[in-house]
Amino acid sequence: MADILQCPNCKTENPIGSKVCKNCQTPLSPVNKITGGFIKPGQAPTRKHTADLEPVLPQWLRDARDAARGTEPQNSMEPPLPQAEKDQPAAPPSNDFLAGLQSSEPVSEDDDEYIPDWLANITGKSPTTPREATSEPNTSRRVEMGHTADFPIKEEPAEESETPSWLASLQSQEAEPEKDELTEWFRNASGADTPKHHEPTPKIEESAAAPQPDESPDWLRQMAMDAEKAEAPKPQEDSEFPADAPDWLRNLGSPIEVNPDSGLNPFSLTEQAPAESEASAPPIETPNWLSNETPKQDTTPKWLQDDRAASDSETPAWLANEAPIQLPPEPDSQPLSDDIFTELPGWLKAAAPESSIFSQAAKEPDVAPEPQQDSQDWLKDFQLAADQASEIKPESEATLENAPAFSTDFHSDENVNSLFTEMPDWLSNAVDSSSISPSTSPVDGALAPSELPSWVQAMRPADTSRVEKAQPAPTPNRDLPLESRGALAGLHGVLPAMPGFTPTSKPKAYSIKLNASKEQMAHAEILEQVLAAETSPDPIESLSAYRASRTLRWFIAFMVLVAVAAPVFLRTQFFSTPVGVPNETRDAISVTQAIPEGSALLVAFDYEPSRAGEIEAAAAPVFDQLLLLKHPRLTFISTNETGPILAERFISGPLAGHNYQSGATYLNLGYLSGGQSGIRAFALDPASVAPVDINSQPAWTSTPLQGVTALNQFAAMILLTDNADSARAWVEQTEITRKDTPILIISSAQSTPMIQPYYAAGQVDGIVSGLYGGAIFEQYNAGRPGTARLYWDAYSVGMFLAVVLTLFGGLWNLALGLRDRKPAGKGMK
Amino acid sequence: MTLSPDLISGALSFLFTILILSYVIGDNPLFRVAIYVFVGVASGYVASVVIWQVLVPRLITPLVPTAMSNSPMQWVMIAVPLLGSILVFAKISQRLSGLARFSMAYLVGVGAAVTVAGAMIGTLLPQVQSTIEFFDPQIAAARSITTAEVVGNGAIILLGVVTSLIYFHFGAHQKTDGTMRRLLPIEILAWIGRIFIGITLGAVFAGVYATALTALIERLSSLINFFGLFS
Repeated sequence: MADILQCPNCKTENPIGSKVCKNCQTPLSPVNKITGGFIKPGQAPTRKHTADLEPVLPQWLRDARDAARGTEPQNSMEPPLPQAEKDQPAAPPSNDFLAGLQSSEPVSEDDDEYIPDWLANITGKSPTTPREATSEPNTSRRVEMGHTADFPIKEEPAEESETPSWLASLQSQEAEPEKDELTEWFRNASGADTPKHHEPTPKIEESAAAPQPDESPDWLRQMAMDAEKAEAPKPQEDSEFPADAPDWLRNLGSPIEVNPDSGLNPFSLTEQAPAESEASAPPIETPNWLSNETPKQDTTPKWLQDDRAASDSETPAWLANEAPIQLPPEPDSQPLSDDIFTELPGWLKAAAPESSIFSQAAKEPDVAPEPQQDSQDWLKDFQLAADQASEIKPESEATLENAPAFSTDFHSDENVNSLFTEMPDWLSNAVDSSSISPSTSPVDGALAPSELPSWVQAMRPADTSRVEKAQPAPTPNRDLPLESRGALAGLHGVLPAMPGFTPTSKPKAYSIKLNASKEQMAHAEILEQVLAAETSPDPIESLSAYRASRTLRWFIAFMVLVAVAAPVFLRTQFFSTPVGVPNETRDAISVTQAIPEGSALLVAFDYEPSRAGEIEAAAAPVFDQLLLLKHPRLTFISTNETGPILAERFISGPLAGHNYQSGATYLNLGYLSGGQSGIRAFALDPASVAPVDINSQPAWTSTPLQGVTALNQFAAMILLTDNADSARAWVEQTEITRKDTPILIISSAQSTPMIQPYYAAGQVDGIVSGLYGGAIFEQYNAGRPGTARLYWDAYSVGMFLAVVLTLFGGLWNLALGLRDRKPAGKGMK
Repeated sequence: MTLSPDLISGALSFLFTILILSYVIGDNPLFRVAIYVFVGVASGYVASVVIWQVLVPRLITPLVPTAMSNSPMQWVMIAVPLLGSILVFAKISQRLSGLARFSMAYLVGVGAAVTVAGAMIGTLLPQVQSTIEFFDPQIAAARSITTAEVVGNGAIILLGVVTSLIYFHFGAHQKTDGTMRRLLPIEILAWIGRIFIGITLGAVFAGVYATALTALIERLSSLINFFGLFS
């Protein structure tokens, strides 16, 4: 995970240094080494333990923490922390109000420009100084401004240790690279022997939290209270202080009443000071060093003494006086507001909590020389007060990075005065930087800097502004698009609300119309009309016409039934049998007369049971004549499933008088499967295709098929069919194998027109067509069996009736048509 | 009184005849009953014929003798049809229906070959030759047909064939007025072809009517004969 960046959109793994995903080109934000993942839009912030924030702690804070741990054994009997432990993460202050500054803009450590600690602490940049990050100048003092809760409090018995609670809480603070000059300043003032406490970095976010009275302001308050007791107040000095001077500073020269709760407390950088919490705060335990402080005693803390010794010039007069500070009692709290901060000097306002860094863009702070002038006057007064304080012997030259901000040896009087013995660098630089206008240009790629207070801007040294101008804060996301709205405004590389969807242009609009020419459209309309006519029902013009047609249908049916049934019932023979003999029928007669006596005949029954009356009426005279005159051996076969049973019906019905026996005089081979393929197979090898008869007896060894092994060995082939397809199949498939064997077709009247071409082509030797052909055959058969003659009168009446009705109907339609045309013609005229 | 089979069959035939003739008044449940019974009986009889006259004698019965024989050819002759039959039955299952492709492909291929070959040899060539022979005077003489009749018959047949085929030509052009019409010669020939087609359809209709009339006469005759048994 450390070497790979996972794309939030497509989950593709990318190298650690990739800015965009190689698959979907989604901007990749650097993996938060602490959190281990990307922050997605809408995702709730992940709560992190302060111990996890160790890698982002500034080095100076780490050093302070380590120093505090190292000096702890002097007071708490704890061994000094090894170097490895110093690097271990500790619980960061929970209300570090300046931590946000640091995280918003990662600072490149390779920067050679000088960024002081106090500025780095404010802006969040990592301090890059020529000096080692771990080392601190002896002359600088940094004050850690923050809530005492920021510092991990190590519980120690008060009677056993002189370390006040607020100091003890500072010991567990994590070191941060940004070092506030105040912190360092206070550290040096306390002396070298004093254990360096952690320097908690105040956080802007925690500025909303009310400073606990037991924390950092407490020692000031206590100092003020002691100062009040020790010295009389010097109201005339109040007038000497600028308007923005905090009370505690005013009280330093002469008993200065400092109201930490009113916001003048330089260590109270919060805008809110809940009165409830402060009112309910337990009584402040006066540290010994504060209670024992005497104006004339050198109460300068060791860390302050070091700074003082290192640079006397930096020590303002007011700091050298080291007047006891009287901290006023806790009044009713009033929420800190910006108005209160206007009373603070510029250098204190630098540590004051700023408004939300996201609320407004960086504006040119209203830098006015007044704060600087006020700071100068105020600093002078402060230096005087500090000079009055007893000198603090410098402590041993302990490494400043290991020295905590506050020492447990910080006795009251001595340390109080030591706080103001030396002017910290930032104070000294503040005088020099009066002409420097702070850079307010927004850093490229970073958050829009908020408006800095005037006193903060006044503190900026000249180098800092040059550093800011020359060194734009590099950000890894400078090339990425800048978010301009929302809570993440000002950030680069913000994931879009809809990952993967970045429409760059309006989608092209495609016409849904079909590109077709006029001709194509006309053809389509015609086709559509044709299809619509097929599916659309014809509207009934009138029900009367519908009723009339139904009546007419019933009438015609009745007429036909009566006309047909009467001759049948009466067995009349009014109509003569046909005289004209068609050629196909004559040839059929010739073929039957040419069949040798006792020869084998193949008879195919391929008609439907519904046509049995007609076919039997047409075939009965033919077979009656054959059986009577020729005594042939009949072999029945059928490509229709009902053919075998029809054959049995035929031989036992109209031909029952001939007494043909199955297996003796006729043989029924049954059903021939396969259609045309079966007919062809039978034509090629009939013995293998139909080896047994309908009774499963061997067929080709029986009497009817004695001496017959091939199709051409039959004397003739007679086909009984009612459709032209069956006739065509038999004719086509037996054309080659049949050779000279004649074929007769006894067909129904409806299929005869389709079979005629085959007769005309000579492929069929004769055709007996329906009842008409049967009637003709009966004339040549001495009227036997008489079925055709029996049906002939009815058949004639029916045909005559059909002809009359057809003619009458045609004439009727013609008349109606002529009648309709006349009005149309008159209308046109 | 014993019921003879003829009496029973006669009664049933009379009953179903009346049921079918009830269609004169329109579709009715009696007609439906007769139709359903007919379809059922026909389907059952067809299945029985296929099983006992095709499958049993030609597929199942030869299995035992073939298995007992030592002829590989017989084994192949019985195994291949048996396997093909089983694969055809695979069409019942939707998952295994793909296996039936082999059998169906064989059947379709063989059927197509037989049909095409039969049509070429049995219909197309002989019909073309017959049409040409209409103009052959020698053949006409053999049939005792005069030359005039031959030419006339041939001409009529040729005209009818050509005009009937032209009637089914639907290539048309769009006129200036937007209407779609064929060329004038084609329109004339198509009109003549329409006459030949009309005559042909009329002949077919007459044959159908004759067939139906004959069937009606036969049914009425059977009914009359049935009633005559009781007279």
